[in-house]
Amino acid sequence: MKDKKTLTTEINPEIRDILIEMGAEDIYKCYQCGKCTSACPWFQVEIYDYPVYKFSLETALGAVASSEDKKELDKEIDLIYRCVGCEACLEQCPHGISTPNILRAARRLLVDFDSFPETLKSIVQKTHNVGNPFGEHRENRADWAKGKNVPDYQEGMEFLYFPCCLPAYEARNQKVAQATVGILQKSNVSYGILGVQETCCGEVIRRIGAENIFAEVAKANIKAFSDSGVTKVLVTSPHCYTTFKNEYPDFGADFEVLHTTQYLSHLIETGKLKINKSFNKRVVYHDPCTLGRKNNIYEEPRNILKSIPGLEFLEVEDFNRNLSLCCGAGSGGLWLEWDKEERIVNVRLKQLMDTGAEIIAVACPYCLQMFEETIKSMDTDIQVMDIAEILFECL
Amino acid sequence: MDIIVCIKRVPQTAEAEVTIDSSGKDIEKDRLSFDINESDSYALEEAVILKEKFGGTITVISVGYQDTEDTLRIALAKGADNAIRVKAEDFEHIDGYKTSQILKSVIEKESYDLIFAGCIATDDAYSQVGVTLAELLNIPHASLVINIDTSENRADVNRELEEGLMGHLDISLPALFTIQTGINEPRYASLIAIRRAAKKEIKVIGQEEINKDNLLLNTEIEELFIPPKTKEVEILTGSPAESASKLAEIFKEKGLI
Repeated sequence: MKDKKTLTTEINPEIRDILIEMGAEDIYKCYQCGKCTSACPWFQVEIYDYPVYKFSLETALGAVASSEDKKELDKEIDLIYRCVGCEACLEQCPHGISTPNILRAARRLLVDFDSFPETLKSIVQKTHNVGNPFGEHRENRADWAKGKNVPDYQEGMEFLYFPCCLPAYEARNQKVAQATVGILQKSNVSYGILGVQETCCGEVIRRIGAENIFAEVAKANIKAFSDSGVTKVLVTSPHCYTTFKNEYPDFGADFEVLHTTQYLSHLIETGKLKINKSFNKRVVYHDPCTLGRKNNIYEEPRNILKSIPGLEFLEVEDFNRNLSLCCGAGSGGLWLEWDKEERIVNVRLKQLMDTGAEIIAVACPYCLQMFEETIKSMDTDIQVMDIAEILFECL
Repeated sequence: MDIIVCIKRVPQTAEAEVTIDSSGKDIEKDRLSFDINESDSYALEEAVILKEKFGGTITVISVGYQDTEDTLRIALAKGADNAIRVKAEDFEHIDGYKTSQILKSVIEKESYDLIFAGCIATDDAYSQVGVTLAELLNIPHASLVINIDTSENRADVNRELEEGLMGHLDISLPALFTIQTGINEPRYASLIAIRRAAKKEIKVIGQEEINKDNLLLNTEIEELFIPPKTKEVEILTGSPAESASKLAEIFKEKGLI
């Protein structure tokens, strides 16, 4: 889709003001250099033009999602929900503008007025109603741990282990949670889970724009953690990590958060975890946006992989660390359907496969899900594994 | 063409774990999301489509508590011109029949060519308010409407019946239609319409403005319960007619009919 129009709606200062109030305060820093557009993962999808550079200007003019024409409005709202929130644009912006935050301001208004994609609406409702975006039963949240001798969290334990909703409910991702607790057990780490008392961290619904329901969810988790005396939380998902660490404190949270790659790297470094077996495969590491760009965790995942004997470590040339390309699952992207030729994940998978790797190592349940689902329809033998799974095989 | 659309704010239970509250007559709603009833949103969109074609005004009416005003405001953002909330808190118990009588009391003071309602509410599933309201107002109605073709004072409508059958009716206006889902694609609200809607006044009507002389309650909920789980399941196969015959045989065998 090539969009030749520059402005589809009328200028409206009132809309500008309310969007600024809702978090789009960066708009006036933009001088239209366009670096954001070329940094955006949609730029790599050849047939699709995503005009990132326009969002600041259009917001400053209050000319956002305001077409009176139904079809035009559908297109405008489609643009607002295309953003995967990977912050590749922010990484390149000379003025540090967060386009995802600018778009989120519009998303917040649209959500309040029931004007966003149905599939995302369903996620918000499910998270609100049953505590996870998949609509799974709350009582089944700890099923992944059955038969694995996983203790309930007791006050005084070192860690609460918090698997994200994907490792809690989705069959492929459950193996990551199981591998993680397997490593913790072999390392004699004191940990427990809250199981049915856990609620989704709420990251995805906040990115979608459901701010009020996010606040409810955040408060419920903070209360559950605080009632149980939790002081340290170990998470598998970078999405839980960033929400707990950077966003929950605004709602009164007071606990330490560690991503599994940080802690496992520490266990190896301090000799508390012995690697006994080799892993004789070529492994390429995919930096998850939320772990890397958003939280600057680049070395720990690499340190773990490089400490495994036999493992040949590979990087994606030009697109690693802060330049890593998103898998396309962020900010609700996991639930949105695009034509095959229009998917970011296909571009990223090609980059990863072109390295000649046998294994794609990930450190995020969203990336794992996105890659697994996509390679099923590809003619390839490449496998996707979480770093915790690779490490567990080598103990 | 002036159109009145009756809407209801309902809990979203499709993806929820529904539990009964301590009264035994209602469900726990604390952790549920609320939204416009699904078929009501199609009714509103159909009104907006007709307004775009013929001009006129759209008035949305709901009998509900204070938070219903959020739903009415969304309807204003999606194309309604006026909104009225009848205070549910002024009426102790409300069923479908009583809601219809309250709506009749409000609507008979308004001018209209068409009244739309959703064909069924997803919470109590009575399918009663629209058709009862038409009878009380003494105007013709059609239920489960899936297509509307109107001229100034008549409407051709298709009704969606069972097994893919359609009923085609020619109806004189004013009339009331209960709208089936799928008749159109409900629209998003634009940010400009959202801001416009935020400034509009929602008219709130209390019991003093409702003709209460004959407000009757026809039904009262005795008990809500989750059906007990049973171990025996038999799935009937064959055409609907064959399945129905087998079912009737089972009922006879068990002495139910």
